[in-house]
Amino acid sequence: MTIADLDDLFDSDVNADPHAYFGRLRETEPVHWNERFKLWVVTGYEEVVWLLRHHEYFSSAVIKTTTEPPYPPVNPEDVSLFDTVRQFRAEQLVEKDRPEHLEMRQVVHAYFTPTGMQRWRPFVRNAVTELLDEIAPRGRMNALTDFAAALPVRVIAQMMGVPFEDREYLRELADKILWANRGEPYRLQPLTAGMQGLIDYCTPLVEQRQAHGTDDFISVLVGGEKTGVFTRYQVLVNTALLLFAGHETTMNLICNGLLAFIRHPDQWDRLRADPDGLARLATEECMRYDPPVKSTQRVAAQDVELGGKTIRKGERVRWIMASANRDPTVFEEPDRFDIGRQPNPHLSFGSGIHYCLGATLARVEGQEVFRGLAERFSRFTLDTDELEYQPSLQFRSLKSLPVSWKGES
Amino acid sequence: MTKKPWVWVDHACCVGNAMCVATAPGVFVHNAARQSEVIDPDGDRFEKILEAAANCPTGAIHVVDPQTGEQLFPKAY
Repeated sequence: MTIADLDDLFDSDVNADPHAYFGRLRETEPVHWNERFKLWVVTGYEEVVWLLRHHEYFSSAVIKTTTEPPYPPVNPEDVSLFDTVRQFRAEQLVEKDRPEHLEMRQVVHAYFTPTGMQRWRPFVRNAVTELLDEIAPRGRMNALTDFAAALPVRVIAQMMGVPFEDREYLRELADKILWANRGEPYRLQPLTAGMQGLIDYCTPLVEQRQAHGTDDFISVLVGGEKTGVFTRYQVLVNTALLLFAGHETTMNLICNGLLAFIRHPDQWDRLRADPDGLARLATEECMRYDPPVKSTQRVAAQDVELGGKTIRKGERVRWIMASANRDPTVFEEPDRFDIGRQPNPHLSFGSGIHYCLGATLARVEGQEVFRGLAERFSRFTLDTDELEYQPSLQFRSLKSLPVSWKGES
Repeated sequence: MTKKPWVWVDHACCVGNAMCVATAPGVFVHNAARQSEVIDPDGDRFEKILEAAANCPTGAIHVVDPQTGEQLFPKAY
Protein backbone atom coordinates (compact mmCIF):
# COMPACT_ATOMS: atom_id res chain seq x y z
CA MET A 1 0.00 0.00 0.00
CA THR A 2 1.26 3.47 -0.81
CA ILE A 3 -0.20 6.54 0.72
CA ALA A 4 0.56 9.82 -0.98
CA ASP A 5 0.13 11.90 2.14
CA LEU A 6 1.39 10.22 5.32
CA ASP A 7 -0.69 12.61 7.41
CA ASP A 8 -4.01 11.64 5.83
CA LEU A 9 -5.32 9.68 8.81
CA PHE A 10 -8.80 9.36 7.32
CA ASP A 11 -7.67 7.99 3.94
CA SER A 12 -9.84 5.01 2.99
CA ASP A 13 -6.73 2.82 2.61
CA VAL A 14 -5.73 3.66 6.18
CA ASN A 15 -9.18 2.73 7.40
CA ALA A 16 -9.10 -0.53 5.45
CA ASP A 17 -5.61 -1.52 6.64
CA PRO A 18 -4.51 0.50 9.68
CA HIS A 19 -1.72 -1.96 10.47
CA ALA A 20 0.28 -1.14 7.34
CA TYR A 21 -0.07 2.62 7.72
CA PHE A 22 0.60 2.90 11.46
CA GLY A 23 3.32 0.26 11.20
CA ARG A 24 5.14 2.49 8.75
CA LEU A 25 4.85 5.42 11.15
CA ARG A 26 6.11 3.27 14.03
CA GLU A 27 9.19 2.26 12.05
CA THR A 28 10.06 5.79 10.98
CA GLU A 29 8.83 8.08 13.76
CA PRO A 30 7.06 6.49 16.73
CA VAL A 31 6.04 9.92 18.05
CA HIS A 32 4.86 11.91 15.04
CA TRP A 33 3.30 15.37 14.67
CA ASN A 34 0.44 15.15 12.17
CA GLU A 35 0.44 18.60 10.61
CA ARG A 36 -2.77 18.16 8.70
CA PHE A 37 -4.96 17.32 11.71
CA LYS A 38 -2.75 19.08 14.30
CA LEU A 39 -2.24 16.18 16.65
CA TRP A 40 0.49 13.83 17.85
CA VAL A 41 0.36 10.20 16.74
CA VAL A 42 2.14 7.74 19.07
CA THR A 43 2.73 4.28 17.60
CA GLY A 44 5.66 2.66 19.51
CA TYR A 45 4.93 0.21 22.35
CA GLU A 46 7.32 1.73 24.85
CA GLU A 47 6.10 5.27 24.13
CA VAL A 48 2.43 4.28 24.44
CA VAL A 49 3.01 2.56 27.80
CA TRP A 50 4.93 5.57 29.14
CA LEU A 51 2.19 7.91 28.03
CA LEU A 52 -0.57 5.82 29.62
CA ARG A 53 1.25 5.42 32.92
CA HIS A 54 1.91 9.19 33.21
CA HIS A 55 -1.65 10.43 33.50
CA GLU A 56 -0.44 13.62 35.17
CA TYR A 57 1.06 14.68 31.83
CA PHE A 58 -1.70 13.34 29.60
CA SER A 59 -5.24 14.31 30.53
CA SER A 60 -8.23 12.18 29.55
CA ALA A 61 -10.58 15.19 29.62
CA VAL A 62 -10.27 15.58 25.86
CA ILE A 63 -13.86 16.62 25.23
CA LYS A 64 -13.77 19.37 27.85
CA THR A 65 -10.44 20.81 26.78
CA THR A 66 -10.58 20.65 23.00
CA THR A 67 -13.05 22.27 20.64
CA GLU A 68 -12.59 20.16 17.51
CA PRO A 69 -15.69 19.93 15.31
CA PRO A 70 -17.09 16.43 14.64
CA TYR A 71 -15.20 14.45 12.01
CA PRO A 72 -16.28 13.20 9.49
CA PRO A 73 -18.42 16.39 9.24
CA VAL A 74 -22.11 16.41 10.18
CA ASN A 75 -25.08 18.24 8.62
CA PRO A 76 -24.89 21.98 9.44
CA GLU A 77 -28.35 21.94 11.07
CA ASP A 78 -27.14 19.20 13.45
CA VAL A 79 -24.07 21.04 14.75
CA SER A 80 -25.89 22.11 17.95
CA LEU A 81 -26.60 18.42 18.71
CA PHE A 82 -22.86 17.97 19.00
CA ASP A 83 -22.91 20.11 22.16
CA THR A 84 -25.44 17.69 23.67
CA VAL A 85 -23.11 14.79 22.82
CA ARG A 86 -20.13 16.63 24.32
CA GLN A 87 -21.97 17.41 27.54
CA PHE A 88 -23.11 13.80 27.82
CA ARG A 89 -19.70 12.28 27.17
CA ALA A 90 -17.75 14.74 29.32
CA GLU A 91 -19.35 13.26 32.46
CA GLN A 92 -18.34 9.69 31.65
CA LEU A 93 -15.61 8.00 33.64
CA VAL A 94 -13.31 7.65 30.63
CA GLU A 95 -13.11 11.46 30.31
CA LYS A 96 -12.20 12.11 33.95
CA ASP A 97 -8.83 12.89 35.52
CA ARG A 98 -7.65 12.43 39.07
CA PRO A 99 -8.73 13.08 41.75
CA GLU A 100 -12.32 12.83 40.46
CA HIS A 101 -11.53 9.76 38.36
CA LEU A 102 -10.20 7.79 41.34
CA GLU A 103 -13.28 8.54 43.46
CA MET A 104 -15.61 7.49 40.65
CA ARG A 105 -13.62 4.42 39.73
CA GLN A 106 -13.50 3.25 43.34
CA VAL A 107 -17.30 3.11 43.30
CA VAL A 108 -17.53 0.79 40.28
CA HIS A 109 -14.18 -0.99 40.36
CA ALA A 110 -15.00 -4.01 42.52
CA TYR A 111 -17.97 -4.94 40.33
CA PHE A 112 -15.66 -5.50 37.34
CA THR A 113 -12.62 -7.22 38.84
CA PRO A 114 -11.57 -10.75 37.86
CA THR A 115 -13.08 -11.99 41.12
CA GLY A 116 -16.32 -10.08 40.54
CA MET A 117 -16.73 -11.06 36.89
CA GLN A 118 -16.32 -14.83 37.15
CA ARG A 119 -19.88 -15.14 38.38
CA TRP A 120 -20.94 -13.96 34.91
CA ARG A 121 -19.28 -16.81 33.05
CA PRO A 122 -22.23 -19.25 33.33
CA PHE A 123 -24.62 -16.56 32.11
CA VAL A 124 -22.37 -15.69 29.16
CA ARG A 125 -21.87 -19.36 28.26
CA ASN A 126 -25.59 -19.95 28.34
CA ALA A 127 -26.30 -16.87 26.21
CA VAL A 128 -23.74 -18.02 23.60
CA THR A 129 -25.36 -21.47 23.47
CA GLU A 130 -28.86 -20.02 23.12
CA LEU A 131 -27.85 -17.69 20.31
CA LEU A 132 -25.96 -20.42 18.43
CA ASP A 133 -28.83 -22.91 18.85
CA GLU A 134 -31.03 -20.40 17.10
CA ILE A 135 -28.55 -19.51 14.34
CA ALA A 136 -26.89 -22.86 13.56
CA PRO A 137 -29.72 -24.45 11.49
CA ARG A 138 -29.72 -21.49 9.09
CA GLY A 139 -26.33 -22.34 7.64
CA ARG A 140 -25.40 -18.68 7.31
CA MET A 141 -25.43 -15.46 9.30
CA ASN A 142 -24.33 -11.89 9.36
CA ALA A 143 -21.99 -12.50 12.29
CA LEU A 144 -22.13 -8.81 13.18
CA THR A 145 -25.85 -8.28 13.64
CA ASP A 146 -27.09 -11.84 14.24
CA PHE A 147 -24.52 -12.84 16.81
CA ALA A 148 -21.83 -10.33 17.80
CA ALA A 149 -24.20 -7.43 18.50
CA ALA A 150 -26.81 -9.57 20.23
CA LEU A 151 -24.58 -11.20 22.85
CA PRO A 152 -23.21 -8.13 24.68
CA VAL A 153 -26.63 -6.46 24.86
CA ARG A 154 -28.03 -9.56 26.56
CA VAL A 155 -25.20 -9.53 29.06
CA ILE A 156 -25.42 -5.80 29.75
CA ALA A 157 -29.23 -5.90 30.06
CA GLN A 158 -28.80 -8.53 32.76
CA MET A 159 -26.12 -6.45 34.51
CA MET A 160 -28.37 -3.41 34.44
CA GLY A 161 -31.22 -5.43 35.87
CA VAL A 162 -33.49 -4.65 32.90
CA PRO A 163 -36.76 -6.64 32.93
CA PHE A 164 -36.88 -9.42 30.33
CA GLU A 165 -39.73 -7.85 28.34
CA ASP A 166 -37.72 -4.61 27.90
CA ARG A 167 -34.74 -6.29 26.26
CA GLU A 168 -35.79 -5.61 22.68
CA TYR A 169 -36.30 -1.95 23.52
CA LEU A 170 -32.87 -1.77 25.15
CA ARG A 171 -31.37 -3.34 22.01
CA GLU A 172 -33.04 -0.60 19.93
CA LEU A 173 -31.54 2.07 22.16
CA ALA A 174 -28.13 0.36 22.10
CA ASP A 175 -28.26 0.29 18.28
CA LYS A 176 -28.90 4.03 18.26
CA ILE A 177 -25.95 4.66 20.58
CA LEU A 178 -23.76 2.80 18.07
CA TRP A 179 -24.25 5.73 15.67
CA ALA A 180 -21.54 7.48 17.73
CA ASN A 181 -19.06 5.53 15.65
CA ARG A 182 -20.57 6.03 12.17
CA GLY A 183 -19.61 8.43 9.42
CA GLU A 184 -22.98 9.47 7.97
CA PRO A 185 -23.57 13.25 8.17
CA TYR A 186 -26.98 12.77 9.83
CA ARG A 187 -25.63 10.41 12.53
CA LEU A 188 -26.14 12.83 15.43
CA GLN A 189 -29.93 12.53 15.01
CA PRO A 190 -30.22 8.81 15.87
CA LEU A 191 -27.35 9.10 18.36
CA THR A 192 -28.91 11.89 20.44
CA ALA A 193 -32.31 10.19 20.20
CA GLY A 194 -30.68 7.07 21.66
CA MET A 195 -28.97 9.06 24.41
CA GLN A 196 -32.21 10.78 25.42
CA GLY A 197 -34.14 7.51 25.14
CA LEU A 198 -31.65 5.87 27.47
CA ILE A 199 -31.91 8.70 30.01
CA ASP A 200 -35.71 8.48 29.88
CA TYR A 201 -35.65 4.70 30.18
CA CYS A 202 -33.09 4.54 33.00
CA THR A 203 -34.43 7.38 35.18
CA PRO A 204 -37.23 5.28 36.75
CA LEU A 205 -34.80 2.33 37.14
CA VAL A 206 -32.47 4.61 39.09
CA GLU A 207 -35.33 5.88 41.23
CA GLN A 208 -36.38 2.31 42.03
CA ARG A 209 -32.84 1.50 43.16
CA GLN A 210 -32.72 4.63 45.27
CA ALA A 211 -35.61 3.12 47.22
CA HIS A 212 -34.54 -0.56 47.08
CA GLY A 213 -30.95 -1.37 46.12
CA THR A 214 -30.20 -4.66 44.33
CA ASP A 215 -26.93 -6.24 43.22
CA ASP A 216 -27.06 -4.85 39.69
CA PHE A 217 -24.75 -2.28 38.11
CA ILE A 218 -27.21 0.61 38.33
CA SER A 219 -27.43 0.00 42.09
CA VAL A 220 -23.64 0.27 42.28
CA LEU A 221 -23.80 3.69 40.59
CA VAL A 222 -26.73 4.73 42.78
CA GLY A 223 -24.55 3.84 45.79
CA GLY A 224 -22.07 6.37 44.42
CA GLU A 225 -24.83 8.95 44.16
CA LYS A 226 -25.80 8.36 47.79
CA THR A 227 -22.23 9.05 48.93
CA GLY A 228 -22.04 12.17 46.78
CA VAL A 229 -19.43 10.86 44.28
CA PHE A 230 -21.86 10.69 41.33
CA THR A 231 -24.55 13.20 40.42
CA ARG A 232 -27.85 11.84 39.06
CA TYR A 233 -26.81 12.92 35.57
CA GLN A 234 -23.48 11.11 35.97
CA VAL A 235 -25.29 7.94 37.06
CA LEU A 236 -27.34 8.08 33.86
CA VAL A 237 -24.53 8.88 31.42
CA ASN A 238 -22.28 6.23 32.95
CA THR A 239 -25.03 3.64 32.57
CA ALA A 240 -25.04 4.65 28.91
CA LEU A 241 -21.25 4.29 28.87
CA LEU A 242 -21.56 0.70 30.05
CA LEU A 243 -24.03 0.01 27.28
CA PHE A 244 -21.93 1.59 24.54
CA ALA A 245 -18.44 0.60 25.69
CA GLY A 246 -19.48 -2.98 26.30
CA HIS A 247 -21.40 -3.27 23.03
CA GLU A 248 -19.28 -1.84 20.22
CA THR A 249 -16.01 -3.26 21.57
CA THR A 250 -17.33 -6.78 22.15
CA MET A 251 -18.90 -6.81 18.69
CA ASN A 252 -15.52 -5.92 17.22
CA LEU A 253 -13.67 -8.51 19.29
CA ILE A 254 -16.01 -11.23 18.03
CA CYS A 255 -16.05 -10.12 14.38
CA ASN A 256 -12.37 -9.23 14.02
CA GLY A 257 -11.44 -12.45 15.81
CA LEU A 258 -13.74 -14.59 13.66
CA LEU A 259 -12.35 -12.94 10.52
CA ALA A 260 -8.79 -13.65 11.66
CA PHE A 261 -9.72 -17.32 12.14
CA ILE A 262 -11.34 -17.48 8.69
CA ARG A 263 -8.16 -16.07 7.17
CA HIS A 264 -5.95 -18.44 9.19
CA PRO A 265 -7.62 -21.86 8.95
CA ASP A 266 -4.60 -23.54 10.54
CA GLN A 267 -5.24 -21.54 13.73
CA TRP A 268 -8.94 -22.42 13.59
CA ASP A 269 -8.04 -26.13 13.39
CA ARG A 270 -5.68 -25.64 16.30
CA LEU A 271 -8.43 -24.09 18.43
CA ARG A 272 -10.87 -26.82 17.42
CA ALA A 273 -8.44 -29.47 18.62
CA ASP A 274 -8.54 -28.00 22.14
CA PRO A 275 -11.23 -25.30 22.54
CA ASP A 276 -11.26 -25.41 26.33
CA GLY A 277 -7.52 -25.28 26.69
CA LEU A 278 -6.81 -22.62 24.07
CA ALA A 279 -9.78 -20.24 24.36
CA ARG A 280 -8.01 -18.01 26.86
CA LEU A 281 -4.80 -17.46 24.89
CA ALA A 282 -6.71 -17.31 21.60
CA THR A 283 -8.86 -14.47 22.92
CA GLU A 284 -5.73 -12.53 23.94
CA GLU A 285 -4.28 -13.01 20.44
CA CYS A 286 -7.51 -11.83 18.81
CA MET A 287 -7.33 -8.75 21.05
CA ARG A 288 -3.73 -8.12 19.98
CA TYR A 289 -3.87 -8.95 16.30
CA ASP A 290 -6.82 -6.79 15.24
CA PRO A 291 -7.99 -4.90 18.33
CA PRO A 292 -11.60 -3.68 18.80
CA VAL A 293 -10.27 -0.20 19.54
CA LYS A 294 -7.49 1.03 17.26
CA SER A 295 -6.66 4.22 19.11
CA THR A 296 -7.75 6.70 21.75
CA GLN A 297 -6.89 10.28 22.64
CA ARG A 298 -5.31 12.28 25.41
CA VAL A 299 -4.47 15.96 25.68
CA ALA A 300 -1.18 17.19 27.14
CA ALA A 301 -1.77 18.69 30.60
CA GLN A 302 1.71 20.26 30.60
CA ASP A 303 4.77 20.40 28.35
CA VAL A 304 6.33 16.94 28.20
CA GLU A 305 9.10 15.07 26.34
CA LEU A 306 8.13 11.80 24.64
CA GLY A 307 10.27 9.84 22.22
CA GLY A 308 12.63 12.78 21.79
CA LYS A 309 9.81 15.20 20.89
CA THR A 310 8.42 18.05 22.94
CA ILE A 311 4.66 17.92 23.30
CA ARG A 312 3.18 21.26 24.35
CA LYS A 313 0.41 21.73 26.88
CA GLY A 314 -3.00 21.60 25.20
CA GLU A 315 -1.87 19.55 22.18
CA ARG A 316 -3.87 16.43 21.33
CA VAL A 317 -2.14 13.06 21.44
CA ARG A 318 -3.58 9.97 19.73
CA TRP A 319 -2.07 6.67 20.81
CA ILE A 320 -2.44 3.69 18.52
CA MET A 321 -2.75 0.39 20.35
CA ALA A 322 -3.20 -1.42 17.03
CA SER A 323 0.34 -0.38 16.15
CA ALA A 324 1.93 -0.87 19.60
CA ASN A 325 0.52 -4.42 19.50
CA ARG A 326 2.66 -5.12 16.43
CA ASP A 327 5.87 -3.60 17.74
CA PRO A 328 8.65 -6.11 16.94
CA THR A 329 10.68 -5.00 19.98
CA VAL A 330 8.00 -6.66 22.15
CA PHE A 331 6.30 -9.27 19.94
CA GLU A 332 8.15 -11.88 17.92
CA GLU A 333 6.84 -12.07 14.35
CA PRO A 334 4.20 -9.48 15.25
CA ASP A 335 2.24 -9.79 12.00
CA ARG A 336 1.64 -13.49 12.56
CA PHE A 337 -1.70 -14.59 14.07
CA ASP A 338 -0.61 -17.17 16.64
CA ILE A 339 -3.26 -18.24 19.14
CA GLY A 340 -0.69 -19.87 21.40
CA ARG A 341 1.29 -16.64 21.84
CA GLN A 342 2.58 -16.27 25.38
CA PRO A 343 3.37 -13.89 26.95
CA ASN A 344 1.04 -11.52 25.14
CA PRO A 345 1.25 -8.10 26.80
CA HIS A 346 -0.97 -6.36 24.22
CA LEU A 347 -2.27 -2.88 24.94
CA SER A 348 -5.80 -3.38 23.65
CA PHE A 349 -7.23 -2.69 27.11
CA GLY A 350 -4.88 0.26 27.58
CA SER A 351 -2.71 0.58 30.68
CA GLY A 352 -2.44 2.74 33.79
CA ILE A 353 -5.31 4.29 35.73
CA HIS A 354 -7.77 4.09 32.82
CA TYR A 355 -7.10 0.39 32.10
CA CYS A 356 -10.36 -0.93 30.65
CA LEU A 357 -12.87 -1.41 33.44
CA GLY A 358 -14.63 -4.11 31.42
CA ALA A 359 -11.48 -6.04 30.48
CA THR A 360 -12.39 -9.15 32.44
CA LEU A 361 -15.94 -9.19 31.09
CA ALA A 362 -14.60 -8.81 27.53
CA ARG A 363 -12.21 -11.69 28.17
CA VAL A 364 -14.96 -13.93 29.52
CA GLU A 365 -17.17 -13.09 26.51
CA GLY A 366 -14.36 -13.67 23.99
CA GLN A 367 -13.36 -16.96 25.60
CA GLU A 368 -16.91 -18.28 25.68
CA VAL A 369 -17.61 -17.15 22.09
CA PHE A 370 -14.50 -18.65 20.48
CA ARG A 371 -14.81 -21.83 22.54
CA GLY A 372 -18.51 -22.13 21.66
CA LEU A 373 -17.92 -21.53 17.94
CA ALA A 374 -14.98 -23.94 17.77
CA GLU A 375 -16.94 -26.71 19.46
CA ARG A 376 -19.75 -26.55 16.89
CA PHE A 377 -18.47 -25.40 13.51
CA SER A 378 -15.74 -27.11 11.53
CA ARG A 379 -15.25 -24.32 8.99
CA PHE A 380 -16.63 -20.87 8.25
CA THR A 381 -16.68 -19.42 4.73
CA LEU A 382 -16.62 -15.71 4.11
CA ASP A 383 -19.60 -14.85 1.87
CA THR A 384 -18.25 -11.60 0.45
CA ASP A 385 -15.15 -10.34 -1.32
CA GLU A 386 -15.55 -6.81 -0.06
CA LEU A 387 -15.33 -6.15 3.63
CA GLU A 388 -15.90 -2.59 4.75
CA TYR A 389 -15.10 -0.86 8.01
CA GLN A 390 -16.83 2.07 9.69
CA PRO A 391 -14.89 5.28 8.98
CA SER A 392 -13.44 5.65 12.47
CA LEU A 393 -10.03 6.42 13.89
CA GLN A 394 -11.03 4.94 17.21
CA PHE A 395 -12.88 1.70 16.48
CA ARG A 396 -12.04 -1.21 14.20
CA SER A 397 -15.64 -1.96 13.28
CA LEU A 398 -16.73 -4.06 10.33
CA LYS A 399 -19.94 -2.88 8.69
CA SER A 400 -21.03 -6.45 8.07
CA LEU A 401 -19.58 -9.98 8.29
CA PRO A 402 -21.58 -12.49 6.24
CA VAL A 403 -20.41 -16.06 6.80
CA SER A 404 -21.74 -19.54 6.11
CA TRP A 405 -21.01 -23.12 7.17
CA LYS A 406 -21.98 -26.65 6.23
CA GLY A 407 -23.68 -28.42 9.12
CA GLU A 408 -22.40 -28.68 12.65
CA SER A 409 -19.72 -31.04 13.83
CA MET B 1 16.80 -20.97 51.44
CA THR B 2 15.07 -17.60 51.32
CA LYS B 3 11.40 -17.81 52.15
CA LYS B 4 9.14 -16.53 49.39
CA PRO B 5 7.38 -13.31 50.47
CA TRP B 6 3.68 -13.72 51.22
CA VAL B 7 2.65 -10.67 49.22
CA TRP B 8 4.26 -9.69 45.93
CA VAL B 9 3.39 -8.12 42.56
CA ASP B 10 3.88 -9.96 39.27
CA HIS B 11 5.38 -7.37 36.93
CA ALA B 12 4.49 -9.41 33.87
CA CYS B 13 0.84 -8.69 34.69
CA CYS B 14 0.84 -5.32 36.49
CA VAL B 15 -0.53 -2.56 34.25
CA GLY B 16 -0.07 0.25 36.75
CA ASN B 17 -3.77 0.71 37.40
CA ALA B 18 -2.79 1.96 40.87
CA MET B 19 -5.93 0.86 42.67
CA CYS B 20 -3.72 -1.04 45.15
CA VAL B 21 -1.73 2.13 45.84
CA ALA B 22 -5.01 3.88 46.65
CA THR B 23 -6.35 0.98 48.73
CA ALA B 24 -3.27 0.08 50.78
CA PRO B 25 -0.77 2.94 50.41
CA GLY B 26 1.36 1.67 53.27
CA VAL B 27 2.04 -1.58 51.40
CA PHE B 28 2.11 -0.72 47.69
CA VAL B 29 4.00 2.06 45.91
CA HIS B 30 4.64 2.77 42.25
CA ASN B 31 8.20 2.33 40.98
CA ALA B 32 9.86 4.31 38.19
CA ALA B 33 8.11 2.18 35.51
CA ARG B 34 4.80 2.97 37.22
CA GLN B 35 4.24 -0.60 38.29
CA SER B 36 3.32 -1.54 41.85
CA GLU B 37 5.85 -2.79 44.34
CA VAL B 38 5.51 -3.97 47.89
CA ILE B 39 7.33 -1.46 50.06
CA ASP B 40 6.21 -2.89 53.43
CA PRO B 41 4.04 -6.02 53.80
CA ASP B 42 3.00 -4.83 57.27
CA GLY B 43 2.24 -1.29 56.17
CA ASP B 44 -1.54 -1.75 56.27
CA ARG B 45 -4.10 -4.09 57.80
CA PHE B 46 -4.23 -7.60 56.29
CA GLU B 47 -7.83 -6.95 55.11
CA LYS B 48 -6.62 -3.99 53.08
CA ILE B 49 -4.05 -6.16 51.32
CA LEU B 50 -6.75 -8.73 50.53
CA GLU B 51 -9.00 -5.96 49.21
CA ALA B 52 -6.19 -4.64 47.01
CA ALA B 53 -5.49 -8.13 45.66
CA ALA B 54 -9.17 -8.87 45.03
CA ASN B 55 -9.60 -5.56 43.21
CA CYS B 56 -6.50 -5.80 41.01
CA PRO B 57 -7.87 -5.67 37.44
CA THR B 58 -5.22 -8.06 36.14
CA GLY B 59 -4.73 -10.34 39.15
CA ALA B 60 -1.11 -9.22 39.46
CA ILE B 61 -1.02 -9.20 43.28
CA HIS B 62 -0.07 -12.53 44.82
CA VAL B 63 -1.04 -13.18 48.40
CA VAL B 64 -0.25 -16.34 50.36
CA ASP B 65 -1.75 -17.02 53.77
CA PRO B 66 1.25 -16.41 56.07
CA GLN B 67 0.12 -19.18 58.44
CA THR B 68 -1.01 -21.99 56.13
CA GLY B 69 0.89 -21.18 52.93
CA GLU B 70 -2.37 -21.38 50.95
CA GLN B 71 -2.49 -19.10 47.89
CA LEU B 72 -5.32 -16.59 48.42
CA PHE B 73 -4.77 -14.43 45.31
CA PRO B 74 -4.88 -14.49 42.38
CA LYS B 75 -7.70 -16.98 42.39
CA ALA B 76 -7.58 -19.86 39.94
CA TYR B 77 -10.51 -20.12 37.55
